[in-house]
Order: sequence, then structure tokens, then C-alpha cells
Amino acid sequence: MNKDKKKKSLSYRLFWPIRNEKWQPISIPVASILISFIAAAIVILLLGKNPLQAFYNLFQGAGIFPKSSYAGYKSILTDFLSLLNAMTPLVFASLAVAVALRAGLFNIGVSGQMLVSGFLATVIVGYSGLDAIIAKPLVLLVGIVAGGLMGGLVGWLKYRFNIHEVVSTIMLNYIAQYVISFFIQMYYVDPVSRQSKYISEEARLTLVNVEIANLKMDIPLGFILAIIIAILIKFLMDKTVVGFEIKAVGSNRKAAKYTGINVGRNTVLAMIISGGLAGLAGVTYYLGYFSSIQPKVLSSIGFDSIAVALLGNAHPIGIIFSSFLVSIIDQGSTYMSSQAGIRQEIASVIIGLILLFSACGAYVKHKVSRLKEKEEDRKDSES
Amino acid sequence: MDTIIIDGLSFALPLFIMAIGGIYSEKSGITNLALEGFQGFGAFIGALSAVLIANTSGIDVENLFYVSFLFAMIGGMGFSVIHAVLSIKFKANQVISGVVINILALALTTFLTTQINALVFGAASDKFRLGVSERFTIEGLANIPVIGAIFTNVYPFEVIIVVIAIFAWYLLYKTRFGMRLRASGENPHSVDAAGVNVSKIRFSAVLISGLLSGLAGMCFAYSISANFSSNIYMGYGFLAIAALIFGNWKILPTLVACLIFGFAKSGGTFIAQAMALPSSFTDLFMILPYVLTLLLLVFFSKSNRAPRALGEIYDKGKR
Repeated sequence: MNKDKKKKSLSYRLFWPIRNEKWQPISIPVASILISFIAAAIVILLLGKNPLQAFYNLFQGAGIFPKSSYAGYKSILTDFLSLLNAMTPLVFASLAVAVALRAGLFNIGVSGQMLVSGFLATVIVGYSGLDAIIAKPLVLLVGIVAGGLMGGLVGWLKYRFNIHEVVSTIMLNYIAQYVISFFIQMYYVDPVSRQSKYISEEARLTLVNVEIANLKMDIPLGFILAIIIAILIKFLMDKTVVGFEIKAVGSNRKAAKYTGINVGRNTVLAMIISGGLAGLAGVTYYLGYFSSIQPKVLSSIGFDSIAVALLGNAHPIGIIFSSFLVSIIDQGSTYMSSQAGIRQEIASVIIGLILLFSACGAYVKHKVSRLKEKEEDRKDSES
Repeated sequence: MDTIIIDGLSFALPLFIMAIGGIYSEKSGITNLALEGFQGFGAFIGALSAVLIANTSGIDVENLFYVSFLFAMIGGMGFSVIHAVLSIKFKANQVISGVVINILALALTTFLTTQINALVFGAASDKFRLGVSERFTIEGLANIPVIGAIFTNVYPFEVIIVVIAIFAWYLLYKTRFGMRLRASGENPHSVDAAGVNVSKIRFSAVLISGLLSGLAGMCFAYSISANFSSNIYMGYGFLAIAALIFGNWKILPTLVACLIFGFAKSGGTFIAQAMALPSSFTDLFMILPYVLTLLLLVFFSKSNRAPRALGEIYDKGKR
């Protein structure tokens, strides 16, 4: 009897963070990350490889742990900076998805909005030869405006014509992809790379090959902006009237309408903000991480960002952490596959599993609250 | 003109059958953004079984259509169990579940394709080669002007799809099961009050959508791409969702939507070829189906109404 009690208390302590409602937003994602790494470890074991070694390689490749040897001008710092460079557009894109989600809208057009703003910024600023001090802010501005207009159009179509945002964003994705591919191939193609011509260094949001202390590093300027914007969005959503109205519309359209909130205006507004963020993702991707656009290809970031946003509970700070994790797995996978001989594709399987388990979070929450209710019932009947 | 109809139909019909799957799921009250993942995974299982059987028995891959279609349907259905369990049993957000399934399907199938190719066939390839399905022409009927094109160069799967689609229409609108399914999406509590298990109905609806999507994915693999690779995730699943929303969650209007897609797509390619424009201009004509859809939606979607309980987790205690 006594032993039984002890056992219970151990498991009680172990699962306490999951049981405690205050900790659930953090404990459930963490638990799902752990479970999926265990699942991935089993797969790697089945392939006859050492999972711990593989995961260590994963973090080495992403610049979290030092590698055994580095090429010239490279070090753990350069690896880490390129991780941040890859992570920047993902943060923006996930914020875009999150803002729309808060308003009850599902923006799967992030890729399209990214492409349009990236293309316009490339054409207007990237080839203009302006000085860096003017060009870089202008790139950001073009990105925000172009993305915001695209997003606003989706919101307007929804509010004015009752066109489901999933449909209109999918259509706009395709239209953007084909139209921009046409323009690139007609006017801006680089005959060697078959992509759009490279933009000038002045307009690029990532400083490439900067030599500091005998290291050549890529400094992603957009990353600092991404952190600032994430905090701003958190402030906007939690502390302002605009954020409150958007959230109210998202949680219950009818109730929001009865309280006098203008549902249509807020729908459009939320999509403009979401599109603007997607635009920032676009310019940091096409004019930062890359410096040209590949025609006919939509970046996968648009869809990954949905997942990242959900993993981060659609919360701006949560998104920074979740995109950090996803970028590590993404960036480290090349090094892992070269070192451990495991196929790179396992990285996206791990990401998929993390998402799958975190999608079960709602069930865990539900079960936990049910258990609590039952316990209380029992206590009531006992007393 | 004939090629527009022939190519248009061979694209529209797989899209249509996938959209029917989506209608089943959404009419029962389960939002289904996972069609894309279902069709890809179904096609993966179908292609894998075809390639494996061809490898062990020595039959040509091209002759294994029906086997692979069967396996694709089973595969799509098997994969859809995840969506059903997550969104019905685990009460997960259905949109989240759908997106996760799409990502997981893409990741799993590309990983497994390269892995299996390396392990079983010893080849460093990321695709299963399938070839293009044979076609047939019904003599006599094919000679009728204009309409004759419908009976020319038909893929066998088009016939299968038409048969299944008619059956699916009957099942949804004329049987007790169909009525209960539609009621679960409008007012699940009344279905429950009538003594029917809402979860079971929804579960089977999602499985049906997986089954039909798997079939559609295999059709794309056997016609457009002639192989299975990650290229199967071209966004046709989302296009099917667009079609069913366009069709106001009803089967016949959805067919019209799919036909518009198909014909606009093949028509665009045809015009570009006929005008002998440089290849980059084809991109401009490729936007035709999407622009057309948006325009039509501007005029017709005012009266669109989703099933009332769509996306809501069914809670017995709620009123």
C-alpha cells in the first residue's frame, strides 16, 4: 500500500507540469518534442545507426555544438549565424500565420505573399543601385506594403464577397507563382543560373562574407528586426484595442458583432498585418537568405510556418522558440547526413512527428481536466 | 478542341473524386485540409506495391494499374485514420491536424521512397517509375462531333471514377447513412438524439475521404507525372478543397467546378501552343483556371454556406 502511494507520487511529480494548466502551453510542446525525438531515435536505431551520435551531429551542423574540424574562415559562430539567417524568414512567416489565426483566419497564402513582395522588392530596389542606407529600409518598406496589399485583398474578398480565405489564398498562390515566373523569364533571368539576376549587395538584408577576426560570416540584419517585430506583435495583440478586437473576432464572430466590433474591418486589418509580416518574410528570404528568385517555385516556408506557428501556440514568443528548433533540425540535417550517413529527409520526418504529437495536446488538456473533475467529484462524494 | 476535352477530363475527374471525398468529410462536420496528404500517401502506397510486385513477380509495372489503385485506396484510407483519430477521438483542432498530416505525408513519403529505393533496389533514386496508363477509345461513340472527344483516349481510371462518383452521390443523398452523415455536419446533437453514434459516422466519412483521395493521387501518378516522387504534392488537394467550397459542398456543382478547372487548364495550354508563343508565355496562360475561379467566386459565393457544425468538436454535453 505504502509502495503504491510512493509510486503514485513519483509519477505525479513527473507529470506535474502537464497537469498544471499554467504550464501546459510549455510542457505539452516540450513533451511532444521529446517523444518525437525518441520516435526518431527508434527509426535511426532500426537503420542500424547511433541515434545519439546523429542528434549530436544535427546540433553540430546547426552551430550549437562545435564540429571536430572547420574549413577556412569558418567556425561555430559562422554556423550559428547562418542558422539565424535561415531562421529569420521563418519567424516572420510564422508570425503572419499566427496573427491571421488569432483573427480566426487561415492564411495559407504566405508563400504567395512572400513571393510577390520578394519579387517587387527585387525589381524596384534590388536592381536600382541605390546606396545601402536607402536601399535596405526601402526593401523592407516595399516588402511590407506589397505583402500587406496581398493580404488585404484576401481579407476584402472574404468580407465583401464571402470568398473563403483558404480558396482565395490558394488561387493567389498559383497566380503569383506563374505571373512572376513569366516576368522573371522574360526580363530578369540570369542565363547561367536560370534564376532571376542577383541583386546588388547594397539592397541585401544579410551582410555576406563579412571578415571579422579571420572569419567570414553572414550577418542577418533581419534577425534583430524579427525579434523586435515579434515583441511588437505581442504588445499589439495583448495590450491594444486593435489586438483585442482582432482576437474577439477570431474567437466568436457573432459575439464580436453584437458588441459593436466592426467584423469586416477587423478581418481586413488582420489580413493586412498578416500579409505585411509575410512580406517581411519574403524580403528576408529572397533578398537576405538568398539573393535571387527561382522561377515557378513557391518556398516551402509558407507551409512550414503554419506548423511552426501552431507549435508555438500562435504566440509571438513561442514562435521564436519553435522556429529556432525547426531551423536547427533543418539546418543541421545536411551535416548529420554527411557525418552519420542517415538520409537528410529524416529531419522533416522529425519535424512532422513533433507537430503530430503537439496536435494531440488538446486531447491531453481535455483528459487532464476530466481527471481533475473526476477527482473533485470523488472528494465531494467522500465528504 | 478535342485535346482540350480529353486532357481537361483526365485532370478534372481525379480532382472531382478527391473533392467528393472532401465533401463527405466536411458534410459530416470534419474540416479536411489533409486531402493533399491523403492523395500523396495513397499514391505512395499504390506505387510502392506496384513496384514491389513488379520486382518480385516479373510483371511489367504498366500492367499493374488495378492492383496499385486498390493499394492506393487502402493506403489513403489507412493514412486518413490519423486525421480521424486526431480530430474525433483526440479532439484536436481539425485545421491543425490537416496541416500536420500534409507535412507528415510529404516528409514520410520522400524519406521512405529514397530509403526503400536504396535498401530494396539498390538505386539512389527519389522516385518510383510507373509509366503512363494505357488509354482506350470507344469506336462509334468517338465519331460524334464534339462530344465524341469524351470517348476518345480515355484512361481506364476515368471510368472507375465515374462509377464511384455515381455511387458516392447515391450514398450521400439517397441512403440513410448519407442522411445521417449530412445531419452530423449540420446538427450533430439531433443525430445523437436519434440514437446514432456521431463519432462513428464522422470516422467513416473521414475514411471515405482518405480512400477516394488515395485513388485520385494514384490517377495523377499514372497520368500526369508517370512516376511517384515528391512532385505528387502539387497542391491538387488544395485545388479540390477550393472546388468543393466553390461547389457549395454539393456534389454536382463541385463537378462543374472541377470541369471548369480542367478545361481552363487544358485550354490555357492549348492556346499557348496554338499561338506558338515562347515557352515563358505558357506561364501566363497557366493562371487561367485560378483567375477564372476567383472571378466566378466573386459572383457566386454570396450564398455559399458551410455545414453548420463544420470544424466544431462534437461535445455531447454542449447545447
